[in-house]
Amino acid sequence: MATVRFEGAGKRFGGVDALVDLHLDIEDGELAVLVGPSGSGKTTALRLLAGLESITSGHVWIGDKQVDALPPRDRDIAMVFQDYALYPQMTVYKNLAFGLRMRKVAPGDIDGQVLTAAKTLGLEDLLERRPRELSGGQRQRVALGRALVRQPQVFLMDEPLSNLDAKLRTQTRVEIARIQREFGITTVYVTHDQIEAMTLGRRVAVMRDGRLQQFDSPKGLYDRPANLFVASFIGSPAMNITEGSLEHAGDGLAIAFGDHRLAVGRPESRPDDGIGAYAGRKVLLGIRPEAMADASLALGTPEDRRMTVRVELREDVGSDVYAYFEGGPPVSNPGLAESPTGDDDEAGGNRRRTFVARLSPQSKAREGDAIQIAINDRALFFFDPDTGVRIG
Amino acid sequence: MTGRGDRAVNYVILASFSLIALYPVAGIVLAAFQPPGSAAGGFSLPSELHLANFAEAWTQGHFASYLRSSLIVAVSVVFVSTLVSIMSGYAFGTMTFAGNKVLFYLFLLGLMVPLEGLVIPLYFDLRALSLTDTYWALILPQIGLSVAFGTFWMRAFFLATPRSLIEAAAIDGARRWSILWRVLVPFARPAVLTMMVLIFMWTWNEFLLALVMVSSESLRTAPLGLAFFQGQHVSDVRLLAAGAVIVALPVVVVYIFLQRHFIRGMISGSVVG
Repeated sequence: MATVRFEGAGKRFGGVDALVDLHLDIEDGELAVLVGPSGSGKTTALRLLAGLESITSGHVWIGDKQVDALPPRDRDIAMVFQDYALYPQMTVYKNLAFGLRMRKVAPGDIDGQVLTAAKTLGLEDLLERRPRELSGGQRQRVALGRALVRQPQVFLMDEPLSNLDAKLRTQTRVEIARIQREFGITTVYVTHDQIEAMTLGRRVAVMRDGRLQQFDSPKGLYDRPANLFVASFIGSPAMNITEGSLEHAGDGLAIAFGDHRLAVGRPESRPDDGIGAYAGRKVLLGIRPEAMADASLALGTPEDRRMTVRVELREDVGSDVYAYFEGGPPVSNPGLAESPTGDDDEAGGNRRRTFVARLSPQSKAREGDAIQIAINDRALFFFDPDTGVRIG
Repeated sequence: MTGRGDRAVNYVILASFSLIALYPVAGIVLAAFQPPGSAAGGFSLPSELHLANFAEAWTQGHFASYLRSSLIVAVSVVFVSTLVSIMSGYAFGTMTFAGNKVLFYLFLLGLMVPLEGLVIPLYFDLRALSLTDTYWALILPQIGLSVAFGTFWMRAFFLATPRSLIEAAAIDGARRWSILWRVLVPFARPAVLTMMVLIFMWTWNEFLLALVMVSSESLRTAPLGLAFFQGQHVSDVRLLAAGAVIVALPVVVVYIFLQRHFIRGMISGSVVG
């Protein structure tokens, strides 16, 4: 068990910065997730920690040991690879035992440790099989077992679920969370899937272009995204983003975008949050789909927190209704997350053109209807159009 | 549409090529079984299986001695070059070190320059070392030639091996030596066996080097011996054929024995290449 600490860690490949000045403190026993699109540096960070890549600048610590120059075998870590990397010629038993044998564990102890790990993962009946005789899910469990059997200081997981089908992925995710909690081993988990990140991580580090954007609890990322990228990356369907201008309205502020105008509520404009400085200027506005409701079902929402829209498309998925409508002008800001987040495309496809609202299944809104959308309190996010940093 | 017609055409083409390839071989084998006095050289079924041809060729042609020489040379070459090729292929395929590109091209040169271009200077070099007319003169150059190919072959294999396999072993605590012999080589067995068969075949069939390097009869390898045997029995086709079958048989046996792995290695090799 140990803490993990990146101290200004950087990595250059040729002339390209894969990772820039990463500072990250992961607590003992914590499951921390690194998430980001491809090329964001999340895997590079993991490989630096594993010792599979040499560090270009900065330091990496495991516990109170600076490990920059140590080979992987001396770092007391175990890693689960995306393709599992099981030894094809060895049985499951030998796969699990290999690390112990390499570490000169007494043969008597090896047997006990392998059987314990096998039991934890339900592999007892597969011990004499070879990897090619196993299903994808079983291979996955063997890979987990191989990491678990050595009781390392730190678990490293590199997209361990990406080769599984959707159902197995959810099961295994729960399994990983259970094992991690049971053994309390510090875990660094890399994924491109924000759902995986949010459900697994006690804290999640959002990465982009080799730089850490924000390291916070899932709730923190969702409620207080540091910038446009985090805001548009986290959440599914993704946050609606448009451009608007902040205006004075009475003794408060209002945001005008497209044909709409909404009052900026009190929680969004605390006097100390600096949003007043943007009055009279263009800003980027973000509204989460789930912060919007069919006004006919949300009685009591003040008039200045409603907008009238024409529903272009209605998708009924049973638990929710997704309504698409013309929100504000599309935004192409370099700070936006490139693609709809995660693997699920359910509602992100054309968010650049249109807003999407996640409404209650009781909503009667039909395509072509003009309806009123009520916006919750605290639901408006503002970003600086130049820096992408969240205002307020 | 790949229907029955397509398959029939495929089979006809394959069958006719097999026929072209097998016809001379079959002719030799049949001739080797002809009883003495029968029409030589024709493609006719022997009236009886005359095994005595082999015994006669064996004693008259000193094939026991030739095969023994060939075996000594081939086994040493295969053993040493396999060992060295695995290690150099591992280095070129998985590590970066100073000069690895230049060195690799040097190896490729060994693959591209034909033996005919090397054999004369090689003769003088080995004579200066007083190694001509010894087994060393046959073994050492052929190790050199085989390692060029073997390095190329094993490098391609190790390059195509998932990197995560090596990394997983490194994290599991294995050093480079253990990663190679405990993880990669067992995984590479089809490729290694294929390489061994190829090197064995080439070494066994090597003629020019043996012709130039050795003069003592006791050192003659099988193909060279066969050539001398042919000089003495120009007219006796059935004895010549029997001798040829004797010389060719070990390669055929090795091939059949390792066929399963050989094919698999070729297939994986082609994907790699």
